[in-house]
Amino acid sequence: MNEIVVAAGIGVLAASGVWLLLRPRTFQVVLGLSLTSYAVNLFIFATGRLRTGAAPIVPPSAGANPAAYADPLPQALVLTAIVIGFATTALLLVVLLAARGLTGTDHVDGREPDA
Amino acid sequence: MLVALGALTKSAQFPFHFWLPRAMAAPTPVSAYLHSATMVKAGVFLLARLWPVLAGTDAWMWTVGTAGLVTFVLGAYAAIFQHDLKGLLAYSTLSHLGLITLLLGLDSPFATVAAVFHIINHATFKASLFMAAGIIDHETGTRDLRRLSGLARAMPYTATLATVAAGAMAGVPLLNGFLSKEMFFAEALDVAGPAPLLDRALPYLATLAGMFSVAYSLRFILAVFFGPPPSGLPSAPHEPPRWMRVPVELLVLACVVVGVIPALTVGPLLDVAVHAILGERTPAYSLALWHGFNVPLLMSVVALGGGIALYFALRRLLARGVDGTAPLLPPVDGRRVFDAVLTTTTTRWPRAAERWLASRRLQPQLRWLVALALAAALAPALTRGLTAGAVADGALDVGLLLAWCVGGACAVGAAVQAKFHRLAALVLAGGAGLVTCITFVWFSAPDLALTQLVVEVVTTVLLLLGLRWLPKRMPFRATAAGARRALPRRLRDLAIAVGAGTGLAVLAYAVLTRPPAPTVADFYVERAYPEGGGTNVVNVILVDFRAFDTLGEITVLGAVAIAVYALLRRFRPAKESTEPPPQQLQQTAQDVHDDVLVPGVIMRAMFAPIAVFAAYLLVRGHNLPGGGFAAGIVFTIALILQYMAGGTRWFEERLRIRPVWLVGSGLALAAATGAGSWFFAHPFLTTHTAQVTLPLLGPLHLPSAFLFDLGVFLLVVGSTGLALIALAHQSVRAHRAEREP
Amino acid sequence: MIPPEHLVVVPVVLPLAAGAAMLMLDERRVGLKAGIALAAALALVVAAAALAVRVDADGTQVYRLGDWAAPFGIVLVADRLSALLVLLAAVLGLASLSFALARWHRAGPRFHALHQFLLMGVSGAFLTGDLFNLFVFFEVLLAASYALALHGSGVVRVMTSLHYIAVNVAASLVFLVGIALVYAVTGTLNIADVALRVPAVAAADRALLEAGAALLGVAFLVKAGLWPLCFWLPGTYAAASAPAAALFAVLTKVGVYAVLRVSQTAFGDGAGASAGFGAAWVAAGGLATLAFGTVGMLASQDLPRIVSYGLVASSGTLLAAVGLRDEALTGAALYYLVASTLAASAMFLIAELMERGRAPGAQILAVTAEWLGDAEDNEAPERDVGVSIPGTLAVLGLAFASAALVLAGLPPLAGFLGKFLLLDALLGRAAPDAASWTMLGLLLASGLAAIVAFGRTGIRRFWAAQDEGVPRVRVVEFVPVALLLVACAVLTAEAGGAMRFLQDTARTLHAPGGYVERVLEVP
Repeated sequence: MNEIVVAAGIGVLAASGVWLLLRPRTFQVVLGLSLTSYAVNLFIFATGRLRTGAAPIVPPSAGANPAAYADPLPQALVLTAIVIGFATTALLLVVLLAARGLTGTDHVDGREPDA
Repeated sequence: MLVALGALTKSAQFPFHFWLPRAMAAPTPVSAYLHSATMVKAGVFLLARLWPVLAGTDAWMWTVGTAGLVTFVLGAYAAIFQHDLKGLLAYSTLSHLGLITLLLGLDSPFATVAAVFHIINHATFKASLFMAAGIIDHETGTRDLRRLSGLARAMPYTATLATVAAGAMAGVPLLNGFLSKEMFFAEALDVAGPAPLLDRALPYLATLAGMFSVAYSLRFILAVFFGPPPSGLPSAPHEPPRWMRVPVELLVLACVVVGVIPALTVGPLLDVAVHAILGERTPAYSLALWHGFNVPLLMSVVALGGGIALYFALRRLLARGVDGTAPLLPPVDGRRVFDAVLTTTTTRWPRAAERWLASRRLQPQLRWLVALALAAALAPALTRGLTAGAVADGALDVGLLLAWCVGGACAVGAAVQAKFHRLAALVLAGGAGLVTCITFVWFSAPDLALTQLVVEVVTTVLLLLGLRWLPKRMPFRATAAGARRALPRRLRDLAIAVGAGTGLAVLAYAVLTRPPAPTVADFYVERAYPEGGGTNVVNVILVDFRAFDTLGEITVLGAVAIAVYALLRRFRPAKESTEPPPQQLQQTAQDVHDDVLVPGVIMRAMFAPIAVFAAYLLVRGHNLPGGGFAAGIVFTIALILQYMAGGTRWFEERLRIRPVWLVGSGLALAAATGAGSWFFAHPFLTTHTAQVTLPLLGPLHLPSAFLFDLGVFLLVVGSTGLALIALAHQSVRAHRAEREP
Repeated sequence: MIPPEHLVVVPVVLPLAAGAAMLMLDERRVGLKAGIALAAALALVVAAAALAVRVDADGTQVYRLGDWAAPFGIVLVADRLSALLVLLAAVLGLASLSFALARWHRAGPRFHALHQFLLMGVSGAFLTGDLFNLFVFFEVLLAASYALALHGSGVVRVMTSLHYIAVNVAASLVFLVGIALVYAVTGTLNIADVALRVPAVAAADRALLEAGAALLGVAFLVKAGLWPLCFWLPGTYAAASAPAAALFAVLTKVGVYAVLRVSQTAFGDGAGASAGFGAAWVAAGGLATLAFGTVGMLASQDLPRIVSYGLVASSGTLLAAVGLRDEALTGAALYYLVASTLAASAMFLIAELMERGRAPGAQILAVTAEWLGDAEDNEAPERDVGVSIPGTLAVLGLAFASAALVLAGLPPLAGFLGKFLLLDALLGRAAPDAASWTMLGLLLASGLAAIVAFGRTGIRRFWAAQDEGVPRVRVVEFVPVALLLVACAVLTAEAGGAMRFLQDTARTLHAPGGYVERVLEVP
């Protein structure tokens, strides 16, 4: 059942993130990307399947049994993805501030829609 | 077909003839060369070249023949009514090209001979006429036929030359134009095309066009060289300098010689040209001047007489004429039509299409991206069929379920609140991040949890610093109409969002319930300690097995930090957000001092422990959760605390090391560590382990990967610090900007 | 100095080291940094050329990073395609750098380091044999390109960059999901290893695998500029500073490369039930993109935008060629790729020189200067703009005409050969189908559109308006333009040799068995 919970959690995060991604305000887009990246990180993590109590820290002796540990590779990938996501979020934040400063609006297209 | 169209355009055939008369503004030698010799002939040449391949098909006859005929007649007709000397010549060129094209379109070898012959003849007499026109223009300063008159007295020599050339153009016997025109008339008589009516009409039309050409040739000569002496010319005419006449002389001489003794002069040349086109099918033809009394001769005579009559009939009308538009022709300015067509097809339609096909707005782009990604993932699932895996569901952890209830609520809440309550949304998103973190801990990923947590903290701080500069969002003044208009759009976005979420959830579930494939990860677990020298497999992967990824990743971080720094140097906050917030206005300096005194001391005191903790994380990273990245972020958190305690200025004054330098040295250290293995004849980034015995701490296992991790640490501190400092610095700058407007 | 077996990694490490070193130098040491950057760019060209020669002679080179064998460690794989593209990127890097040295590198901080990082990212993406590492290098080149797109600042650049970043960050997330799915099904990240495992994937898992591949495709196609995922491209490239745009010309090719590499290696003819997966869609998308680029060229007024749309059109051409999966076509497309990239890059530089004398360009600079007017800023792009040298307009016109001829695919330069080879390959296909004929027509139409668009601009600039003043250009700024055009000319003159190399490239691409064996060291 844990699988369902995690899958549903990923779904909710992704849906919220995508919804925000499609909104017209820069802050919404940044927050949306950040929520979506949580979902994607969890998704990558999920490809290693869910294991409790099997942190991939091996004893300092030769011949660790791979079956006893969670898949470490997706974890390493997620770590890299987290860092890159962090970097791009920071950049996007600053760009949106600059855009806001230059155009006077926080609309993603730099001007208010003519409604 | 398209090639033929292109050739027709190039040779200025109807309906693509507009450009030619307009090109006559060019200086004389250029336009002489252009019109009569090369440019337009290039198109005709192409048609001639294509003749063996394409001729004989009905499509060829129809398009090429018809275009040629229409151009031939209309060009000659329009030429009569031109007032500009060169305009007249240009339209006559049009007409002659039409003639050539028509001949090529007639699909008979003999017509082709005539076409080639006429190409040569036309080039000689038209070039000489253009040059004569240029001489007249040069000498008198005008090319208007209504103002020119009686020039024969001032420049008899030029007049003679031009008269001869014009005679050739009109098809007067003993000149070359006569010969090819005879050939054409003969051909027009016995053509057998797909449309009998047209065949019957062709001789008459040909004679008519012949009349026109006689008329405009006459007009050219009579109006310019005869009649009363000119008056009111911009400059007094006299014979042109010698070198201006020479080319005309040569060309006119050619006209005469070819006209009188064709077989001896142009015969061989023509022979070669015709053979090149026709090959085997070359007919026997004779270039004799006198073919006896026959119908073509009669047609020539009619054309000559008719043309003379036509000219005198129209003379008064022409002298009065205001503009160069021929009567009876629809007053369509070809150029304007052409321009309009060109603008429409090459600018207006593409613009409309661009607007329709693309968008410069961000939201449609992201919508396309998400929708396409969704479709891309959905298509295989639908065609191949996606089922859940076979792994039996385990027991449900209530704690996890509760955590995700909160997490899901947080995510949805953040989505709803992000527009009006940014702070609340930020906190809620942080909550979702925290639940993610818990999930990592739950399922055996302590490293991830640690990193996610610290990144979460720093991201939140960054966003908080940024929130300050965003515009205040007024509560939504929803008009019913506005809401209704927005509804379909919002529903569509909601559908896309829910679709994307469901899709990802389904995929995740499908993956989670499948037994894992044999992965390369087993290798990592087995070798991490024996060969990688660390017990924390994730860290060993990052700094050893897949260290190249990490190297790239820290480069990303460094590049982004520089971008942030560069951007914020130019940053100008919007005017309304430079005002200090109301809370700040209510405080006095004393308040601030009191408020932050106690926390400030604590925060300052925290620096050393946190820094030590960071160092600890760095060192133990290879064996236990931690590592260079987490350590770097933790160290940055220590820096942030100093900021909060001491304020921006206090901190910047005490900042000794420049963060950019840290970024550079971190990268350099990581790269140098990697390159170091070259000296041991191993590939880039090969790890070497050294046992170092330190005093007090005892033996220490020190792989070169540790140095690499140290580089990561330096870079992370440098770039995160750089971004934070640049962002925080804005508050100082905003105040300064306020003081010195 | 460096043993030849390490040559494969040099195109990545060299820019990294140069960039890092320049970050440690103070911003004011302009001359020293320019020297380092130039030396590094030159060395990169030399290294890339040496690599290409070596690969052509000895076959595919595999480099095991950290001395871990594939598929466990990350390997760099230099086959002919990778080596060629790395060389192309290095040449563009040298040209754009030397152009920037005249003045642009002072329009914002840390230009040189970012420039080096971009080159590092591009080289890494071309060389890596690992999916996740490909993602990382995509991010490296994107991060550097974000920064370079913002170089010089100003409203237009910030707004277009905002879109560029948002779209590409979202695309990166799609990329990650794709990688995760491929890993979940095959248990490996190495492209060659994936190729080995794809035929054996169980039927029940194939949907997941193909979903992953499709998502990867979407992510690559965003970079390649496929319609309708390319709306950010013309705006961003047109707004970017000229040297940045000149280098960006190669970025879409990274996307095309990724599609080509992954589809041909892992989903080629030997991929069992997934053979040729998605190819039809790529071909259709490529044709749509070609049409869109053609329309866009006609719809645009200013030269950088026209060139950007030209890039879209050439991306479309390449993607269509990739999607049609024909060996001869691939070879021709690669020739076209090299020629059009060189010319587009040159055209971005020429555009900046042409616009310089004109009012709109001056206004843009004025806006920039306004934002530069900060007390802390010591750089000034308008300083030292140079003097007008005699014959500037003539030389500029000549350069413009040559580049336009290449882009439009007219004789006598390389563009014509490229298009001709493509048409020839299309007509030479075993069974020319509707797609071939559509592509043929679109190729001709896009050539015509390019003539019209460039002709219009050229007439306006060089013929109609003599009174607008001659742009003030320094001689050194012609050097990179000349370099790129000479490269085009050499490509034309040496077409025989080039085509031999490229046909070999296409052959190895269409028979990926050798690649897989070499990487995984299967005996």
